[in-house]
Formats: sequence, C-alpha cells, structure tokens
Amino acid sequence: MGIRFKQRSILPGFGLALGFTVFYLSLIVLIPLSATFWKTSALGWHQFWHVVTSARAMASYRLSFGASLIAAAINLAFGVLVAWVLVRYSFPLKRLFDSLIDLPFALPTAVAGIALTTIYAPNGWLGRPLESLGVHAAYTRLGVTIALTFIGLPFVVRTVQPVLEDLDKELEEAAASLGAGRWQTFTKVLLPTILPAAITGFAMAFGRAVGEYGSVIFIAGNMPMRTEITPLLIITKLQEYDYAGATAIAVAMLIVSFVILLAINVLQKWSSGKRGSADLRDAPGPEATLRPAYGREEAH
Amino acid sequence: MSINVRNITKAFGRYTALQNVSLEIPDGQLVALLGPSGCGKTTLLRIISGLEFPDSGTVEFDGQNITDQSARERRVGFVFQHYALFRHMNVFENIAFGLRVRSRATRPPEAEIRRRVQELLALIQLENQARRYPSQLSGGQRQRVALARALAVQPKVLLLDEPFGALDAKVRMELRRWLRKLHDEVHITSVFVTHDQEEALEVADRVAVMNGGHVEQAGSPDEVYDCPATPFVFDFLGKVNIFHGRVESGDPATGTLEIGAPGHLASGRPPAAGYVRPHELELRRERNGDATVIEATVLRIYKAGPLARVELRRRDTGELVQAEIPRAAFQALALQPGETVFVKPLAIRRFDDGMPC
Amino acid sequence: MAGAIQSNVRVAPASGFVATQATSEPALVRWLLTGIAILFLVVFLFLPLAIVFSTALEKGFAAYFRTFQDPDTAAAIRLTLLAAGIAVPLNMIFGIAAAWAIGKFEFFGKSLLITLIDLPFSVSPVVSGLIYVLLFGMQGLLGPWLIDHDIRIIFAVPGIVLATIFVTFPFVARELLPMMQAQGNDEEEAALTLGASGWQTFRRVTLPNVKWALLYGVILCNARAMGEFGAVSVVSGHIRGVTDTMPLHIEVLYNDYQFVAAFSVASLLALLALVTLVVKSVVEWRSKEQGNDQVPLGGEEGA
Repeated sequence: MGIRFKQRSILPGFGLALGFTVFYLSLIVLIPLSATFWKTSALGWHQFWHVVTSARAMASYRLSFGASLIAAAINLAFGVLVAWVLVRYSFPLKRLFDSLIDLPFALPTAVAGIALTTIYAPNGWLGRPLESLGVHAAYTRLGVTIALTFIGLPFVVRTVQPVLEDLDKELEEAAASLGAGRWQTFTKVLLPTILPAAITGFAMAFGRAVGEYGSVIFIAGNMPMRTEITPLLIITKLQEYDYAGATAIAVAMLIVSFVILLAINVLQKWSSGKRGSADLRDAPGPEATLRPAYGREEAH
Repeated sequence: MSINVRNITKAFGRYTALQNVSLEIPDGQLVALLGPSGCGKTTLLRIISGLEFPDSGTVEFDGQNITDQSARERRVGFVFQHYALFRHMNVFENIAFGLRVRSRATRPPEAEIRRRVQELLALIQLENQARRYPSQLSGGQRQRVALARALAVQPKVLLLDEPFGALDAKVRMELRRWLRKLHDEVHITSVFVTHDQEEALEVADRVAVMNGGHVEQAGSPDEVYDCPATPFVFDFLGKVNIFHGRVESGDPATGTLEIGAPGHLASGRPPAAGYVRPHELELRRERNGDATVIEATVLRIYKAGPLARVELRRRDTGELVQAEIPRAAFQALALQPGETVFVKPLAIRRFDDGMPC
Repeated sequence: MAGAIQSNVRVAPASGFVATQATSEPALVRWLLTGIAILFLVVFLFLPLAIVFSTALEKGFAAYFRTFQDPDTAAAIRLTLLAAGIAVPLNMIFGIAAAWAIGKFEFFGKSLLITLIDLPFSVSPVVSGLIYVLLFGMQGLLGPWLIDHDIRIIFAVPGIVLATIFVTFPFVARELLPMMQAQGNDEEEAALTLGASGWQTFRRVTLPNVKWALLYGVILCNARAMGEFGAVSVVSGHIRGVTDTMPLHIEVLYNDYQFVAAFSVASLLALLALVTLVVKSVVEWRSKEQGNDQVPLGGEEGA
C-alpha cells in the first residue's frame, strides 16, 4: 500500500507529542545550528580555509587531538583493567568505587578543572612529588592529558562492564579444558569479545575529550601555539570580535564531531553484531553510559 | 453478541497477514482460531478487538458495522499473550482498573467496585492474593488475573491471544478446562487464538483453522477432525501418512484409489493421493490374499505408553509409513525391526475427488 | 531495529562473578591487578573529590559559610538556580513528549530525530555557546532586530538560560526512551481496551512505569544544568553579579587566587554530583527490587 509516514496505532497522542518534539528541536537546535552554517557560508571558502589552517589553529589541533588521543588510549588500557577488576574480583568498598566511576560525568567541568590544577600544581598533593622528579604537570601538555584522562574515564569502563558481565564462564572453562593458559585464554578468547566495546568506549572518550573546555582550561596554561586547546582558541577569537574566525574553527570542529559520531555508530553496530545478540545493550551516544543499570531476570 | 468478519485484508509493508478473510462467530460461542505461527490468527483477533485496523473489509458486532471504532469504543475484553498486567499495581487494582477509569457519570461507587472485584477474585480463586504484585505471582496466577481484569468491565465479547501459550503442560490443561467451565457458566461470546490443536479441539465450540492468511476450514471440532476440508487441515490436526496411487477404474475424480501392487503404479492411470492417520492402519503378518495391503519392512519401534509407534518402509516405493497400534495388538504381533509386515489402511481420505466426507 | 535508542541494561549479578579453578588467575596476579586499578581510581577520582572539600574547609567552617554571604556569590547561586529552574522543567516536558513519540510509535524519520536529540553530546560546549551567539549576538542573524527592540539575549540572563537548555535537553529523553521502548505497548493497549482515555492511560499506566527513569533523568539534567561551564562561558559576558553562574563564579574566584572561596562554591556542586550518583544507585537498586522493569512480565511455570 505504499510507504506510510506512520503505522496506524491505537495509542493516542502521537501528533501532539511529535509536534511538540519537532517544535522544541527546531527552536533549540535546528535554527541556531543553521545560523552557524549560514554565517560560515558568508565567509567564503578561501578565508575559511585560511583561518582553519593557520599556524595557531594547527597548533591547537595538535594539542587538542593529540592529548585527546593519548588520554583516550590511557583510558582504553586502564578502563579495561578497571572493568575487569570490578566484574571479576571483590575487594572492600567495591560498590563505592563502582558508583564513583561516573563522577566525571556528574561533576561540573569547572570544579574538575580547579581540583585537578590544585592537585598537580607545583605545590599540590601530587605536583610536589612530581616536581621533585623533574616532571612538570600543571600548565603543560601533560596537565592537559591528565585532565582529559579524568574526563574520559567512565566511557571505556561502562561500555566494557556489561560485556564482561555477560561473558559465559563456559568459554573460559572450555579454553582451559583444551589446555590454554590463563594469559592465552585472555588474549585469544576474552579480549576479542570485549574489544569492540572497548574501542567504542575509546571513540566516545576521544570525542568527548576533543571538545572539552572547563576541565582543561585551568590546568592548561593556555599559551598560544604551546598549550592552547582549540575551544579556547574559539573563545579568544570571540573576545577579539573575530566572529568569522571563531565560526570557521567551530565549523571545523563540528565536522570532526560528526565524523566521530558516525564512527561511534558504526563501531556500535559492529560491536552488537559481533556479540550476536539483537538485545538492548549498546549505548548509542557518549553520555549514555551514565544510565543506571536496571536489573534483569536471572534467567537468560 | 455475534461477531461477523467480512473480507478482511491486512498487510504489514510487503507482508500480507490476512487475505480476504471472512468468519462468522455466533452469539455465545467459544471459538478457536487455530493455525501455525504466521498464519494471521493473532492479527485477526486484534482486528476484531480494535487494536489493529484492516486495510479493507468490515467487522460487525450484532450486525452493526464497527470497523472504524477504536478498541476503547468497542468494549471488548482482551487477554494478552503476555498478560500485560499493570506491573506497578497490585492484583486488586489491576482488576478494578477498568471500573475506576470510567467517567464520573458511569463509574460505580467505590463500595460497588470493591464488591465486584471480590467476586472476580473468588471466581479465579485468588482471594488471598489481592494485595500481591504481578511480579510476585506465578504464570498461571497472572493469567487468571488478566482474565478477571478483562471480565470486570462486563464486556460483550472476550478475546484471548494464546492465553496458555507460556505455561507448562499441566497448568495449561487445568486452565483450559477452567476456561471451558467459565464459558459454560457465563456464556460470553469468546474467541481465542492458539497453535495447539489439542487445546482447540478440546475447548472450543467451533474451530477455524487458518493458514497463510486465510481460513482453511471453520466448523465444530468433530467436523474439522473427522472431515477435514483440505490436506493442510488434515495434517495440522494430527499426523498423516500420504499414499500416492492411481485411480484404477472409473472416473478419476470418484473412482477407486488403488495403492497396491507396483505394477499399477506405472499403468498410466491418473495419479491421486490418499491420506491416512497412523492409527487407521492395521498391521498383519500375512497377506491373506488381500491385494490392497502393502508390504513393508519394520524400521524402528517406539513404545510410548498405551500406543506402539512403528516406523515402516514400503517395499515398493521406499517411502516411510508411520503406524500407531494399541499396545495389546502390538504384543500379539511381537514385531522386531527388520521383519516384514503387511499394512492395511482402514480409512483413506481423498481431497481431489470433490466429495465431502 | 532502525532508529532505536538502546538502553544500557546491565545484568549486575547479585551473587557476583564466582570464580572456579578454570576461570581465575593466580592470587598474586589478582592482587596486582586490583591494586593497580584501585590506585588508578584513587588518583583520578578520589583525589579530585577530596581536594575540593579539603581546600574548601582549609580555613575552617566559618570561612566556608562566609563565602556564601558575598553578594556576587549569592547572585551567582541565584542565577544558577534560575537557569536550572527554567531549563529542567522544559527539558522534562520535552523528554516525555519525545520518548512517547519515539518509543511507542513507528514512523519515518525516527533515526534522524534520535540523532538530533543526541547532538549536544557530540558538540563541544564552546561551540554550543557560539551557536547561540551567532544567532542572537550583535553581529548575529537576529542581532539587528534584537537591538532595534532593545532585547538583550547574549551577555544577559536569557542567553544563559537558552545555552543551558541546549546543553541539557537530551538527558530526560535519553533516560526515558529505552525504558518506554523496552516496556512495549502491551500495558497501554490493555488500558485502552479496558476503557481508559489517552490521558488516563498515560497518567495511570505509562508514567508510573517509568517513574524511576524519569526521576533520574531529571536529577541528571539538573546536575548538568547547574554545572555547565563552556557554553555559558561563551554567552554570558562574565558580568559579575549579573551574568555569572556558579561555575563561572568559581572561575572568577580562582583566577583571583581566592582558593578557599572558589572551592567552597565548588563543594556545593560536588555535593550535587554525589547526590546524583546516589540517586543512580537507588534507581538501580529499586528497579532490581521491583523485579525487572525492562522486560514485559511473561509467563513461566506453575499455576
């Protein structure tokens, strides 16, 4: 009978609910977003390119993307470790640690920013011992990486945890009965299963870190060409009333964000495909891992 | 309230669930929609209830065309396959729901609501569980609550979607009988969907056998079992052996079917098929000069309680034949795998001769 | 299922993982891994939390409470409460409407809608703020019109409220949607067959089933609304006492070297974060206790 917009349903309120939703979205998202692209188009391609590839902007990309990559990698390694320890082992206060994993989500970025700076400043709790070792943490690229690690911490943990929890013990027992050592079992049997989820978490952590502002701004030092992150560059240009420049860089960031979002969606499809179940499990977006874990019936 | 369904067609995208289906459900009867998964029985039930709307065709209640009325307006009682109990309300509140949401004008006073709910609780034998929540009940208990909830609003029609599908065998049988008893007392027009032919034949006044989006046959349980209208119905309601043979003499449509000696099979006479139930086969050790028996080898023997199931292979065509004989007869024969027996069909049903049974 | 937001249903086994001989590592390895994990978490999670409270209370409780008597600080707190007080209810209504439309119906364009709802998560907060400046700022699209009518949005309270709404509007929707989808339409259909109207069905059947997800979504939305920094930083203009929210004021105090004051204000937000985490645990516990809110109750064995 041709494609209908909507399947006829007896549940009421569709028109009202959808109408309001679209209205709200248009007002809050679509109209402002189109203003951005409209403004950019007024810029002209050459100037856009010139701003986006200026030396200062490139330096900021190197910092923002570079530090984000490293931070996400750290979170990948430690995230898998933490997820493993939380799922497999028991130790005192485990539930407390588990709840606290989501702190970087719930804590305002400015609070995180000043807290981290104070810890790693030359006279801070960790800054002082690091200084004595000759390592400068605050106001350097290292500081930026540390802050971005904090921000991305929950992502890998929360994407890998469910996968580990669902792992069938029998897989490992089968491997052991066939003569595999513990490390072999881990690398050949377990790791491939959790890898898709882990990489998804990595991509989410990376995406979040690239755009991060509040947590980083205090610890960064903010020196152009050295320790200036891209969002700060945008703000600086705004303060100089260089709207065109700020917009250009913002659009470049938007495009990168979309690409990352796309990659995450693809990764999640791959991840759920690998796991083989069409079940409700994969978190579709960056912040989704803060969703509570609702209990499920024991019988699978 | 009688229900009349005329020429209903319903498609979901490219998949046609119902193709020009018509069915009459007389007032006060308990009718089963029986068929395999995907035959459209649930879709038909939902269309009757108003939870789905047909692409074309009409639904009539007592002669009135109510096709465009929503489920709410039709006032049918619907029991869902997975019960759909309101999980955050206890048993009492679930059953009282339909009465409580009535508009001010038609809502009975609270005392009356309480009385009615207690009555229903007694009917379903769950008086002591009134304060419990659905998650604390067993499957069978939830089913009964769902039924009571549907009955509370005194519907003219009761519709049940695979009501016993998710329960284990013993519970299913008990609830089945209980539903039949309930219907005998209350006499409300009821339609239920099932894929279990035993259930349909045992409980219903009338059975509509469905397949691939249309009704193959509608009739009383005896009718559909003893007089199946199509091979599908015959097969669905029990096991079947198909004997291919030829019409030896007379009109191909009405002549005698011969399924005997191999020579006949190549005779050029028109082919035909005969359908025989396993328990309508007699096994003998000797041919005794009967030309209509078929020689076969015993492959396997399964002794299951009162029956012995014998799997045979025909000597002439190599086809498999399933026979069921009573234990006593089997012991008399003392068959062993590998032995030769002779199979005589006692009743053969044909569908190509245009004759009713 | 195309366009479905899927929930992060975690089977948190009540008994925990029980290791057998074949599935456990040597004790030494276990202790080592546990130790490293704990060390990592302590350094990255506990320390920042601890330092907030320790610095805030460095000069004693008197100094702590005196912070909040400062007029600029009080104004910042008021503005934060105002912004959250407007953003959260609006986003809650939006979240309910969006979850209902997307969760209970099949229609064309669902995935697009869901992607749009996810947008603020993938966009840098600074860019979010910039988007509003480009629309409402002096050089923005509507700039001249606003100037003519003497309406200030950017560098004034309305801009802050708008930016806050933008950054936090997905939260309630994303908590409700997986729940509504997972719970299916059966109960609503049952209510309708029993004679309930649309509103009655929504009020009596749907809402109670998602109340914990709704509560959590609102709390989360609120925490993020109060804590938003980047986007608000761009649109606010940093006018002390007028357009500074709590996070912005923290920045001001910190840059002024008033560490105790900065951390005192920060401690309020940190407490809010802890409350959010507690509510999350409660929601998890509650829904497990109520025996499975996700999957429709089916039948098993027994009469």
